[in-house]
Amino acid sequence: MKQAKYQYRSEDLFHYYEFISEGPKGLIKKIIEYTETSTENVYNLGFGDYDELTKGVNDLSITNNGDSLKVLATVASTVYAFTEKYPEAWIFATGSTAVRTRLYRMGITNNLAEISEDFLVFGYNREGNWVPFVTGEDYEAFLLTKKDNKFAI
Amino acid sequence: MKIEQLNKSKVPIIVLDKKLEQFRGKVLFPDKLKKANEILAKTGLPKIKS
Repeated sequence: MKQAKYQYRSEDLFHYYEFISEGPKGLIKKIIEYTETSTENVYNLGFGDYDELTKGVNDLSITNNGDSLKVLATVASTVYAFTEKYPEAWIFATGSTAVRTRLYRMGITNNLAEISEDFLVFGYNREGNWVPFVTGEDYEAFLLTKKDNKFAI
Repeated sequence: MKIEQLNKSKVPIIVLDKKLEQFRGKVLFPDKLKKANEILAKTGLPKIKS
């Protein structure tokens, strides 16, 4: 994505990533996680603020650090990193709230041309079906995989 | 890595950090994982090849 993004760190399996959001609210540590689901080769994308006190993450906090596009671009960038390491992977993503899900949808919409060069993108619609992502439609969740995923069914 | 290079790069250059191994084996977003598993169990994956 051409949008500016933060540099991030990962452990060597590329399942966990960390970066620091910088803005008027200060420096806020963000954690991204790719967790295996109960379906083979499908990983859930989770993302939220890291709380140093509880040593846990919160995906409901509203940071208001004025950098939401940069944060979203950074998260999207980890999709490229993760699928470089696991080219057969499918990635499931949904927001922790309806507002967040709409933000994800906007992020995909704004970068759909570029994303579509490399990925197949699906939305989970109100009827409970996966359909090819279309701009302007509302979805509960998203699923993507590399176009050249030879294991895609 | 300069930030200009980072922003131009489609496939990112990753900095490895052993410290992040502390999360291994943990599920940090259990509610989201639960939702993912529910949808996948109900609907499966989209069919993209005939």
